[in-house]
Order: sequence, then C-alpha cells, then structure tokens
Amino acid sequence: MKKFLQKIPEQVKRLSILLVVVVVVFIVAQSLLTPKDFGLIGHFRATSVQNNADKKMQYAGQEACSDCHEDMWKIKNAGYHKNLSCEVCHGPSLNHVNEPDQFKPEKPMGRNFCPVCHEYNPSRPTGFPQIVSASHNPRKFCISCHNPHNPTPPQTPKDCSACHAEISNAKSVSSHMEIPCTKCHETSEKHRLSPREFLPTKPTQREFCGQCHSKDAKSDISIPRINMETHEPRYVCWQCHYPHLPEAQ
Amino acid sequence: MEELVQHLTPILKEIWGYIFPNEIELHWGILIVLYPYLTGLVAGAFILASLVKVFNVKELQPTYRLAMLTAMSFLIVAPLPLLAHLGHPERAYEILITPNSTSAMAMFGFVYAWYLMAVLCLEIWFEYRRDIILWSQKETGIKKWIHKIVSLFSKDISEKAVHFDKKWVKIITIIGIPSAFLLHGYVGFIFGSIKANPWWSSVLMPIVFLFSAIVSGIAMVLILYMIITPFRGKELDILCLDKLASYLFYVMIIDFSLEALDFVHRVYESEESIKILAYLVSNKLFVSLIVIQLFMGMLIPLLMIALIKILKSPPDLKKMVYFISAILVQVGIFSTRWNIVIGGQLFSKSFRGLTVYKITFFGLEGFFAAVVIFCLPFIILYILTKILPPWEEVRNP
Repeated sequence: MKKFLQKIPEQVKRLSILLVVVVVVFIVAQSLLTPKDFGLIGHFRATSVQNNADKKMQYAGQEACSDCHEDMWKIKNAGYHKNLSCEVCHGPSLNHVNEPDQFKPEKPMGRNFCPVCHEYNPSRPTGFPQIVSASHNPRKFCISCHNPHNPTPPQTPKDCSACHAEISNAKSVSSHMEIPCTKCHETSEKHRLSPREFLPTKPTQREFCGQCHSKDAKSDISIPRINMETHEPRYVCWQCHYPHLPEAQ
Repeated sequence: MEELVQHLTPILKEIWGYIFPNEIELHWGILIVLYPYLTGLVAGAFILASLVKVFNVKELQPTYRLAMLTAMSFLIVAPLPLLAHLGHPERAYEILITPNSTSAMAMFGFVYAWYLMAVLCLEIWFEYRRDIILWSQKETGIKKWIHKIVSLFSKDISEKAVHFDKKWVKIITIIGIPSAFLLHGYVGFIFGSIKANPWWSSVLMPIVFLFSAIVSGIAMVLILYMIITPFRGKELDILCLDKLASYLFYVMIIDFSLEALDFVHRVYESEESIKILAYLVSNKLFVSLIVIQLFMGMLIPLLMIALIKILKSPPDLKKMVYFISAILVQVGIFSTRWNIVIGGQLFSKSFRGLTVYKITFFGLEGFFAAVVIFCLPFIILYILTKILPPWEEVRNP
C-alpha cells in the first residue's frame, strides 16, 4: 500500500485532497442549505405555495364594489364598459373596501389614461372607438364629454369613419373613394347606437360588383371590366379583391 | 396606476403596429447582452490558448498564458450580469444545491463550475506549478505565501514531475476544447431552443455563437497583447501578431459563412415570421445589424486584414491595422449579442408590430452597471498578472 501511495505523483495527491475538500464542502452545504420542505410536492419548496397565498391582497373584485356602489355598477354593466372590472380604471382597491373613509380609490382624470385603449391604432379591431388624441379636443379631459361608466358617445357618430377609421382611410385613397359606404353595406340607423346588435350587410352575389365591372355594364369607360362567366365563377369578388382598396395586391 | 400610465405613455408612442400588452417592456436588457459577450470571450480566449498546446502553433506561445488568464478573468465575471439581473440574487446558490436536470438554464451552474474548476483552474495550475514553486523559493513575505497556497504547497520540481505537468496540460486542453464549446454552445443553445421565438429558434444558433465567440476571444487577446507589451517596454512579436491575425481572419470567414447560411436558410424557408423579421432588420436593427455588426464588425476588418496580408505591408502598418480590426471586431461581436438578445424581444409574437428598448442609465440593470461589470475582468486580469505573471522573461529556464 505504502509503495502504491509513493508511486502516485505529488500533484495528484494534492489535487485529490482539494477535490475531496470541494466535494465535502458541497455535500455539507447542500445538506445544510437545502430547505427541509424542498421536493415534497415538486421541484420547489412546499411552503412557497403558502408564502404566495400569504401575500397581501390588493384587489377586491367588482362584486365587492357593487355592495356599496350598486347604482354605478348597474350603469357600467349595462354599457360598453361592461366587460371591464371597476379596478381596471380605479386601481387596486381592497384597502378602500376595508376602510372606505381612510383610503380612496384612484380616479384617472388626465388625457393619458383613456387613450391607452382608445388611441388610434391600425391593428385595433374595426368598430372599436378610437381617436387621435392630439387632434381630438386636445385641451379637454376625456371625462368632461364622456361618462366612463356609460361611455356611449355624447353625439351619435355622423360618419362611418368615426368608428371605422382604418377602412375609411384606405378607401379615401382608392378608386372606390367616391362610392358611399351604404352603397355596398345596407346599414340600419340603429347600427349607430347599437353597433353589434344591428350589423351592416355585405354583398353576397357576384352580380353586385358586376353592376360596374362586368363587360356589358353601363358604367364609366375607365372602370376595369371582366367576363363574369369565365373570371373565377366559384368565388364572390371580395374573397380575392379587397373592395376598400381594390388596387392592393 | 397614474405612475404606470406615465411610464407607458412615452413608450406607447414609439410602438409600431400591434403588440400584445405584455410585450411592451423587454425583460432581458443590456446585462443579458453582456453575458453572452463575456462568456464568448472566455471560450474564444481558451480556444486560442489550446492552439498552442494541442495544435502546436509555436508562434502563439507569447500569448498562451495571457490567453489563459484572460479566459479566467472573464469567466469569474461572467455570472455577474446574470446575478445583477435576478430579482433575488441572494437565492442564486439554490440553483446548485437543488439541481434541476430538466432545465437547460438551471444546469448551466454545473457547466460553469466544470469549466472553471476542472478546466481553467486545473490547466493554469499545471502550467504554472513549476514556476510558482521556484518563485516562492526566492520570495519573502505575503507573495511567498500566496504562491505557496496557490501551488497547494507542492514542492516536486523533478524532471519527471514537470513532464507529468506538461502531459496533463495537454490532456486538460483536449478536454477543454469540447468544454469551451459546451460553455458557449450552451448559451447559444438556450436561445436556439426557444421555439416560440423565430429570431432565436435555430439549430445553427449554438454554432454561430461559438464561432463568434472564438472571433471575439482571439481579437480580445490580440488587443490585450498589443496594449500590455509596449507598457512593459517590450517589443511586439510580429510573427505572433501575424499568426493571431491569420487565425482571426480564418475564424471570421467561418463565422461569416455560418451567419450567411443562417440568413439564406431563413429567407428560403420564409416562415410566417419572415415579414416582421425583415421589417425588424431594415428598421430597428438597421444600424446595429447591417452597419455595425456586418460592415464595421465583419466586412471592414476582413477586408483590412486581407489587404494587409496580400500587400506585404511594413510591420508598423500591420500592427495598426491588426489593432483597429480587433477593436472593430469587438464592437461588432458586442453588437451581434445585442441584435440577438434585444432584437429577439423587439417584435411582437403576433408578428404584427414592434416595440422599443429604452435603456436605463442607473440602477442594477442599467448602462453604468454594465460598464462596471465590463471593466471588472480587466482589473482581475491585472491582479492575476501580478500573482501569475504570464511574461516569457519571468519563466524559469
């Protein structure tokens, strides 16, 4: 044994001692530092579930608001903001529920807040009310004209572009710019007040576009013509051509 | 609430198109850019050192020990940007004591520890052991004790023992090459395996990371060698510089080809993300990717080194061109990391919009923290060169 030990180079002996020290330190550290409840129910501390449950609550939920503010809650739930919880605008308000006099919820007044959702953005769904805040009554607070609990516009929108700005912008530079929206979409007057209940129609027949674009149509000579019988007869025109900007590829 | 709105309003104005609400703020900032840059320098410097020992490139001998110490100093600092980024850095050790073998990120601690202890420390120890023993015999006071402790109180400097050291330096270097590939390929793997992000998700990512790492490591050792040597009042070894520049050139060609392959592959594959990625590259990343990474960091240095080699220029001009090229390469590689880390978070997963990255100056995740962390390896390198001088003239014959 002694002979065997002598044969081992000095470097290996010293490094082996160091390696043993490192491994022992690691094992001791692991046994001392690993939390006792680690791994009981998964690769984490079991008590971390309780720690998270113990965190201070911030939000009360809108049912709590309705206990005292039922009138406001009913108005909100009947209007366009029915899917928003009260605390979306008023901020986390559990403190207010517990001590109503001491803590007051926030009331966002400035012009910064509403445009977070209502600033014009081409990617927002068409029909979603959008404004360009720089030009939309720039010196007024939103709440001076709009009631956030019942945000029906103060005036019924006059033009389609009030809600369908993206389509209107596209159409305004297209060869269809002079065709009024109602030429293709039959729209009930009620759509202006209840847009989702009274939806406008869309052309469903090829012949509708054919009124101007078929080869025997009595329209202006500059309008492009097609043979309605041979030109993709299985499709309605707008399945391939975007009618608000027919030039688009 | 007001505060949140105040914070988001200016960012909202710079958003293009549609993004999901949780994409407005980037979670990985400049520190996570710095991290792959630093580990890249480690892997690159080590591969350079291995050229001397494994591939017997004698010309690079003057930079061998410097490259090892450079790798060491950058490796010590490499986890710091990650620690500073963590919400609870004081819990970081838990990644080691409760290993999670199913998480690539969690296992990195062991890859790091392996590389630091089993490769770098061990190789440096075997390489310096004889010198340290001889230095400690001549020295007095604290330096003597530092050297004694570093040598693990080893005394054997017989020919047999020194031969054993040399043999093991070679063996560790051979093990070290796949380890260096593992260390940095691993960082690329973490990005490359994020399948939800088309900018990152690519099997080529680890290998592109690796070759750009070798490029940056060689360039960093070249810069350090060219700055330190005149400060010590010594002459630069032009043969060594030529060889360094040649290797830099070859690896850059490979790196360029791999990146071009990645680019062509993406364009040819034309997945649904290609339009937003094309828009990202031609807008938000135009300066950092096309101008800095491609032209300044890749094509100009390649052209400069190629011209200087073809035209057989005088040594002084050569030195200047090598130095400028290496600096440009560093800027380019940092930009590469920036484009990967930041670029991958700038576009929306809806593929319909881009967000912005607003860098903060102060705070643990700010610009100044990044500058401090970047300067640390150079301070550590200075201290290491005092304890383990890498210079040829202090080696014992």
